[in-house]
Amino acid sequence: MSLRIGVVGAGGFGRAIAQASARHGHEVVVWSRKDRELPDGIRMSTDIADIGDSELIFLAVPAVHAVAATEELGKVVDGRHLIIHVSRGLIGADLKTVTQVIRERTVCRRIGALAGPLAADALAEGRPSGAILGTGFPELTEMARDALGGGELRIYDTPDVVGVELASATVGFLMVVLAYAQEIGAEPSTLAVLATRGMVEVARVGRTLGAKESTFMGLAGLGDLIAAVAGDQRPEFLLGRALAQGANLSNARGKVGAYVEAIDVARHLLEHARRLGLETPISATFVALTEGRISPDNAIQALMERRVGHE
Amino acid sequence: MLKRFLSERPLRLPHIKPYVPRPSDPSIFWFNSERDDIVSEVVNRVCTAHESDRGRLEIALNDAAFHEIRRLEKQHDEEARDRLGYWRSMIRRIGKMDDTEQRRVLHTIVTNMTRDVAGNFDPRVYRFARRAVPRMIGGVMEPRHLMAPAPDAVGRVLKVQGDVEHLRKLQSEGSLVFVPTHSSNLDSMVLSQALEISGLPPTIYGAGKNLFTNPIISFFMHNLGAYRVDRRIRVNLYKEILKLYSQVMIERGYHSLFFPGGTRSRSGMIERRLKLGLLGSAVEAFSMNRVRRVDRPVWFVPTTINYALVLEAETLIKDWLMDEGEARYIIEDDEFSRIDRWFSFFRKIVGMHGACIIRFGDPIDAFGNSVGSRGESLTPDGREIDSGGYIERRGKPVTDPARDGAYTRELGEVLAKRYEQDTVLMSTQVVAHVLFRHLVQSTPGMDLFARQRLRGEISLDCETLGRELGEARDRLRELERQGRVRTSEVVKGDTPQELLERALSIWNGYHSSTAARLEGNRVVIGDPSLLLYYQNRLVPFAEAIASPEQLQAACEIENLGVHR
Repeated sequence: MSLRIGVVGAGGFGRAIAQASARHGHEVVVWSRKDRELPDGIRMSTDIADIGDSELIFLAVPAVHAVAATEELGKVVDGRHLIIHVSRGLIGADLKTVTQVIRERTVCRRIGALAGPLAADALAEGRPSGAILGTGFPELTEMARDALGGGELRIYDTPDVVGVELASATVGFLMVVLAYAQEIGAEPSTLAVLATRGMVEVARVGRTLGAKESTFMGLAGLGDLIAAVAGDQRPEFLLGRALAQGANLSNARGKVGAYVEAIDVARHLLEHARRLGLETPISATFVALTEGRISPDNAIQALMERRVGHE
Repeated sequence: MLKRFLSERPLRLPHIKPYVPRPSDPSIFWFNSERDDIVSEVVNRVCTAHESDRGRLEIALNDAAFHEIRRLEKQHDEEARDRLGYWRSMIRRIGKMDDTEQRRVLHTIVTNMTRDVAGNFDPRVYRFARRAVPRMIGGVMEPRHLMAPAPDAVGRVLKVQGDVEHLRKLQSEGSLVFVPTHSSNLDSMVLSQALEISGLPPTIYGAGKNLFTNPIISFFMHNLGAYRVDRRIRVNLYKEILKLYSQVMIERGYHSLFFPGGTRSRSGMIERRLKLGLLGSAVEAFSMNRVRRVDRPVWFVPTTINYALVLEAETLIKDWLMDEGEARYIIEDDEFSRIDRWFSFFRKIVGMHGACIIRFGDPIDAFGNSVGSRGESLTPDGREIDSGGYIERRGKPVTDPARDGAYTRELGEVLAKRYEQDTVLMSTQVVAHVLFRHLVQSTPGMDLFARQRLRGEISLDCETLGRELGEARDRLRELERQGRVRTSEVVKGDTPQELLERALSIWNGYHSSTAARLEGNRVVIGDPSLLLYYQNRLVPFAEAIASPEQLQAACEIENLGVHR
């Protein structure tokens, strides 16, 4: 059964989705503001109206561009369209998720967030991989599996959409923390403590925003973090290393080349946690470190001197 | 005995000749002629869903018998004596029954339950109530008008806001589903008055069976289209019947009313977590009509009911504090059941212009989109779309309970947001918030429960309070300009001093404890729990209306509404 698939965004992930869908025999059109060259069998368009003909739409733009892109998309979609986004960030100080933005700016309701350890090149080339789709709509999962799944990609699903989005965004921050710690020579056990306790911390905050803690421990959270630690070359890792080598935040960002939202997400998350009186020692210490308010030695000392509690 | 008779079989007036509805009559006037048909449609749909699968059928029967035995064993009343034997003998036989026997038993159980749920509508009772209720309220308020009431007695106390004209146009084109916030057992009565004075049609609604224990109320409820919901019955079949009854009625174009909060807000907060059962029945009614190509859309009207004084405030907040989060579902001994409290309540609101404000919000479709004047669904930028698209799968409309469940959850979120935006903040709520915030600010580190014990210990001078009230009001005005909330005319127009005096006079003399009192030049906090109840309406706005010094206390207040 051939689907009409639209992809908004012609970056790495957008192209990978288009390639995977075309490989499974679907009709694919990619929209981007600028004309780009795409592999054979994939149509390129700079006219958003072409996306309106699709049944399933993938929104593959960074979270910072999600508002503008959904604004465009909103002009041509209606209740028939199904949308899946693959952004890994949150928007603004009120930690808005991309599905919330889609819901506000379009009339589409059958929406999902695709996340987890999925990497663009594995998807494009059809290497075995897995992902998690947060959606309340079982028909969306079926369609996503038809579009991308085949024998190469296992797409699990969960109704905890906000959990998937928050886990996916906050794990980016934990990646920076781990890369930093690794670079300054932290032991594997220190890394493990930072990773697991860090995950507990972000999950605790996530719960107050409507997420389930268990989602953080699944593919969207731990799964993604393990992939990054196992050597997936994520920009968050490069950023963490650059910071550890003594670069300040803006220089480190310059070195990475891509805009990493992780630190902004962490700041907004901290602000939210502070208002609710929640403890977030790892995130708070690391944000202070990136802002130059404390030194690496003091950071470790501060974390180690904290009272130890139950897990 | 009489009580049980009435609550089991509510009185109906004898019919000499059947009433033939006129084309201009609201849909509910057709109900009695369709009643049997509706009952059998519900019975058939429930039975068909279970009959195809013996396993499912047997589970349903076992579940029914198990829960009914458990309920009746606790009841020790006549109903228990009559029915316990039936269920006990049935549960022993289920396993031995053949398919035909099981189906027959299922059919009997479902038919009895559906008949018990289905209401009645008598146009004569409706016409009588239309005249009598305003007279009664007017009479209680001003006894000299009992026989010839001041014509606008109800209109003075009850104010209606919103685009009523739009709703009047839609009512003949599809089914309207009113989904109000819920604070008091008076809500359904107040809302039917609001519909009446706005020229909107009467609705059907589900009323707790406990409301049927009062013979007079039972008579009116039963004959005005209310269907009975017995919350003690835990049987799954019963829950399915309630949902399907609501769904079938909405499919057939009956306007409907239910409270998505499920029960009265114990805390006084605006409902955030909604019960989705009946909401889902309305969404499924929309899908079913579309799939059958019946052009009868369903629209939702988010409605807020805003009281300056709440009849049951004391019981509700006590219940919330005692059992935070795990509210008792059925309260039978509150102010609602005491006629003396009704009298002092109505006497209190005499002369309070707009003591209750009903705000009908702009209607939305089942997917949260705004609705135009012809009932068309609109995108945020005003483009017209076909709402049928939402239930299409690869171009064809289909029913899909899982999908509709997801739509319902999203609709619940939209409604919760709309409740906030359409809440009309009343004088007592604003004054209570400023006083309660002061209490929190003066007791840093103390928990909510310890603060409840501070009776008469915290006070504030009138000048400071006046200033803080003025500032809070200015910030609320700003929020109102941004469309985040609304305030009553009184809150907009009064000076801070007037606001304070008004709130104190509304509380004192009705509630058995004193929320706050004036002592010389100071306002003393009397009962923090009453202040908490009234101020809880402002929980979502606490931070936005606080000054930098009040921010810490405001955060603490806002956190009362955060689920952890």
